Amino acid sequence: MANDGEHQATSRPIIGTTDSRSEERIDPILAALDPDRERPEHVICSQSLTLSFGQKRILDSITIEFRRGSITALIGPTGCGKTTFLRTLNRMNDKIPGFRYSGDVTLEGESIWGPSQDLLDLRRRVGMLFQRPNPFPMSIRDNVVAGVKAHRIAKGKQLDVLAEERLRQVGLWEAVKDRLNDSPFRLSGGQQQLLCLARALAVGPEVLLLDEPTSALDPISTEYIEQLLRQLTPALTLIIVTHNLGQARRISHNTMFLYEGELVEHGPTEDVFERSREERTQVYVTGRMG
Amino acid sequence: MIRRTRYVASEAFPRSRRRRAADVAFRVGALAALAIVVAPVVWVMADVVARAIPHWRWSVLVTSTVGTGGGLENAILGTLVLLLGVLVLAGTVGILAGVYLAEFAGLGRSGKPRGRLLRAATEILSGVPSIALGLVGYLALVTGFHWGYSLLAALIVLSVMVIPYIARGTETALRQVPTSYREGAQALGMPAGYALRKVILRTAFPGIVTSLLIALAISGGETAPLLYTAGWFTGTPRASLLHQPIGYLTYPVWTFWDYPSNEAHYLAFDAALILLVIVLVLLVTARVIVNRTQRFAESRRP
Ligand SMILES: Nc1ncnc2c1ncn2[C@@H]1O[C@H](COP(=O)(O)OP(=O)(O)OP(=O)(O)O)[C@@H](O)[C@H]1O
Ligand SMILES: [Mg+2]
Repeated sequence: MANDGEHQATSRPIIGTTDSRSEERIDPILAALDPDRERPEHVICSQSLTLSFGQKRILDSITIEFRRGSITALIGPTGCGKTTFLRTLNRMNDKIPGFRYSGDVTLEGESIWGPSQDLLDLRRRVGMLFQRPNPFPMSIRDNVVAGVKAHRIAKGKQLDVLAEERLRQVGLWEAVKDRLNDSPFRLSGGQQQLLCLARALAVGPEVLLLDEPTSALDPISTEYIEQLLRQLTPALTLIIVTHNLGQARRISHNTMFLYEGELVEHGPTEDVFERSREERTQVYVTGRMG
Repeated sequence: MIRRTRYVASEAFPRSRRRRAADVAFRVGALAALAIVVAPVVWVMADVVARAIPHWRWSVLVTSTVGTGGGLENAILGTLVLLLGVLVLAGTVGILAGVYLAEFAGLGRSGKPRGRLLRAATEILSGVPSIALGLVGYLALVTGFHWGYSLLAALIVLSVMVIPYIARGTETALRQVPTSYREGAQALGMPAGYALRKVILRTAFPGIVTSLLIALAISGGETAPLLYTAGWFTGTPRASLLHQPIGYLTYPVWTFWDYPSNEAHYLAFDAALILLVIVLVLLVTARVIVNRTQRFAESRRP
């Protein structure tokens, strides 16, 4: 836990905030170099988001903000709406029959359902990693650059450079550099998940949504991916669904606890786990509830 | 290796008599089913080969039919032209229809099923006997439009006949593409059409190729609709869509058998053999294409 606090403290200094107290502590030169200085402090804001599929209400008036460069753990018992919430943020739920919502979600201050929002670009900016690794049936290299090609971000030789860069970033390069043209399904589960991470990172997202990304992996791969996720901040903002409370405590700055579609409690991870304000949170985080 | 492991396992955990009996019954049943499927195939092939080989002349391949004798070059080329035409015409329409049914119909936000009409049409079409299609083609195209016996009339009737298979095969293949591929593509922000081409169709490819293959085998083996629309022609096929009859291999098989000459009978069996070989070649080609393109398929994990 001490580690967490340290990480939190060191990961934030160059991020400009509108808070005048922290403004004084920031080196003005570094602040001027911060690419995010002009942007709102919160990347994603959910404002009284209520969502239902048909008659069934899944999410109930969820209001929360995700600070730039932070890792937020989304916890709660099964069926409480974690996946649904996550998939709403990059609009993967829109096409589900009976989908209705009220309230709003903003990305960089702009509604994700706004008329000027380009859906495909929104999904490029808000990437997603799934519970089960899902590489495409194409070569390892083509997997990494699949999104890049679709968005025409790069082409030709640049693609190879980009593929190597991303594979190095996720630490997969040494393992696959001799078989870039092989099928991805010969990789281990953990390697496949890393490949999917490289694929998601290649399109240059700002936010990464992770739905139980390590629940199908062994402890070693899990630890490796956790460490990798930590390194992705503060450049990226991460929201990670997990049933592993230890994982939530290890890697997240903030935790939100969802119960039957209701956001029961959210705040700094340590507070949520050690000093829960709500009875239900306490019961859940101490393992007395599924 | 595998066999050995299983043997050891079954010794370690002896199965009850009933389970063993059920197991044996199941195996026998499966073998019987296999025999029922395989036996007619072997029988037909052996019969055709046995009857065609003793009097086989290679010149059959390069000479045209004269009356009820001569060779089959005209019919071979005619069948190949017809197959190619069906591949292009029925393949395009059938695959597009299948893509529509699987990807765009029934995805309506209100959840009300779309594509119902198309689906019903393909179902009804696949139930119509081919001879009826041939007759309709004759009345509408050959005499109605004054096209005469012609390649186009034959192609249209054959295509109408096999499009339901291709559409259905494509739809089924697309529906079997794992959701995780679709969601992965969606989450990357791939445009729907792009994801369809690069990820989804690629995965469904073996199923689509199989349906095309069945369609080609059916059209190659059809006689009834062709008698009505293609007529019969003893010259090599001409580059003309209308007013020009065309030969095909099922014609000698069907008609020459009734002629009282040995030569006519021989040609009938030669034609059957050649048709068989064409279908086998198609089968092998399709397998090779599928294997080539499915290098990265999930199911090919070694
Ligand atoms: N496509 C859908 N149509 C209708 N209802 C759905 C759909 N997807 C999810 N739901 C319902 O929404 C509720 C929340 O589901 P969700 O998948 O978000 O739960 P979760 O918190 O991710 O659970 P888990 O921890 O098991 O993954 C469930 O009651 C589920 O039945
Ligand atoms: Mg879930």
